[in-house]
Amino acid sequence: MGIAATIRTPSEGLIVPGKKSLEPILKTENLWKLYRAGKVDVPALRGVNFAVAHGESVAVMGPSGCGKSSLLYVIGGLAKASKGSVLVDGNELTAMSDAERTKLRRSKIGFVFQRFNLLPTLTAKGNIAIAQFIHGDGFDPHRFDVVTNLLGLAGRLQHKPSELSGGEQQRVAIARAIINEPKILLADEPTGNLDSKNSEVVLQMLRQLNKDLGQTVVMITHNPEATAYFDRVVHMRDGVIVDGVPAD
Amino acid sequence: MMSELIVRNLLHRPLRTLIGVLAVAVEVALVVLIVGLTSGLLTETAKRIEGIGADVMLQPPAASVFIGMTGAPMPIKIADKLAELKYVQAVAPTLLQFSSQGGVDVVYGIDAESFRAVSGGFVFLQGHDMEGADDLLVDDLAAAAKHIKVGDTYKLLNHDWHVAAIIEHGKGARLFVPVATLQDLVGAPDKASIFWLKCTRPEHTEDVMDEIRHLLPGYTVRPVSAMLSLMTSTNIPGLQSFINAMIALAVAIGLLVIFLTMYTTVIERTRDIGVLKSLGAGRVFIVRALLTESAGLCLMGIVAGVGLSYAVRAAFLVGFPTLSILITPVWILRAAGIALVGAILGASYPAWMASRKDAVEALSYD
Repeated sequence: MGIAATIRTPSEGLIVPGKKSLEPILKTENLWKLYRAGKVDVPALRGVNFAVAHGESVAVMGPSGCGKSSLLYVIGGLAKASKGSVLVDGNELTAMSDAERTKLRRSKIGFVFQRFNLLPTLTAKGNIAIAQFIHGDGFDPHRFDVVTNLLGLAGRLQHKPSELSGGEQQRVAIARAIINEPKILLADEPTGNLDSKNSEVVLQMLRQLNKDLGQTVVMITHNPEATAYFDRVVHMRDGVIVDGVPAD
Repeated sequence: MMSELIVRNLLHRPLRTLIGVLAVAVEVALVVLIVGLTSGLLTETAKRIEGIGADVMLQPPAASVFIGMTGAPMPIKIADKLAELKYVQAVAPTLLQFSSQGGVDVVYGIDAESFRAVSGGFVFLQGHDMEGADDLLVDDLAAAAKHIKVGDTYKLLNHDWHVAAIIEHGKGARLFVPVATLQDLVGAPDKASIFWLKCTRPEHTEDVMDEIRHLLPGYTVRPVSAMLSLMTSTNIPGLQSFINAMIALAVAIGLLVIFLTMYTTVIERTRDIGVLKSLGAGRVFIVRALLTESAGLCLMGIVAGVGLSYAVRAAFLVGFPTLSILITPVWILRAAGIALVGAILGASYPAWMASRKDAVEALSYD
């Protein structure tokens, strides 16, 4: 059973497995993000101009504190931009309320984190199913089976996170992120807590999601080897993007 | 899915859940038992008065329905006048004396013959009726509670009484002595606190009461059948306030413990809240999840509280057989409602706090 058969065809008709559109699904212009530290505003992003096309996979690299995670959180709608423009699938995030950004995140964005961030009280199945529940479509057993089989989780679904290896936990996290078929998958150093073997498995899965399903993927990483799995690498330093070169 | 999340969260920290459940259980049990004890004692007292078998009771002007609080300001000779009234079959003058010796009791000083005529007589479980001036009749519950046996000498009102009989409970008081002896002991010769009247037929009660009102204007005349409805906490000055204060205290305990439980829960689950927000959970979802969890914890506490109430009642009745704790479905439901409202209120601020958490900060929480 191919997973492509289960993917909904979006009304915009932009996700076509294996193909990329030139139309950006993500676009920031002069994006600023300031954090308040005491009485001082500390800029994490200083006028970032960044675009990601439909179906593209982009790795964002840079030293710690350069603003990579801030960029991810802002384009994912978890944090509000201080200045500038953030377009996500045609929606201007800076004009949206917290509730509107939550709704957009629910329908269009999936997150994968370095620390997996699974809910410790739920089983692997529960962790994936809760994303479906929050999405509002209810539990879809067909979709659930396809995703968990794709990620090799079928035999581990009744286990709690504490009973899973790091690689398994991250695969559960990926399953949770894609179970509602978001247009964009944002991964914040997803291999940061994994050994090289599990890192490779996770990276291959992200690439498979991108190549086979046309999933737009933006990943933050410190690992230069990980960038080989992505179409494009973007470097950040001091809150700005300093270049953007193809990985190969 | 929500219910699974709630159940698993509650099971995740069993000790914390147990403490929350116990707090609610104590809250529910306190409400049920305080009300049950109050209404139980009043109802049981009213039933005992009704059990005398009289149709009408006559008390001094402005006398309380709580007859133990009445002194002895009426001449006993009134009984002769009352006995002459049409439709009156028997009159039993009774002197009431409050005693705190060996427990709180109201002692009835009775004339055995007239009291028998009104009440139909005691059921003697052991011993015999009053024969001597110092004879004491004790009901079976008081005898069990005070470990009194027939033939014992029992000190009451600074007087040594001979326990003549153990009688079946339900005829007004638990302790009965000869009225003349009691009059001497309390310095109220030829006085009575209350007159019990037996009508020739129960339907003549109103006629008899009307006649008494003409004969003794201003005196308090009541049908004994109304005692059950009159003996309520609202008729005792201050009692309802005391009950309300105790209920408020119980609610405060439950509310504060639930607040603390949910507050620590929210702090512990800060990262989880960030995760839920990253998945697209809105504020309503977060608030609903925490309030539902609080309600679930409260429901377990309610069940435990009802069980605790019955267990405490059973234990009390073993230790204090004369106590009566009336647990009613109405008050169980009220206590449950009070606990549920308290739990929701207690969880409201932590839930609101959780819903307002910054998702990015929550995700980086250690």
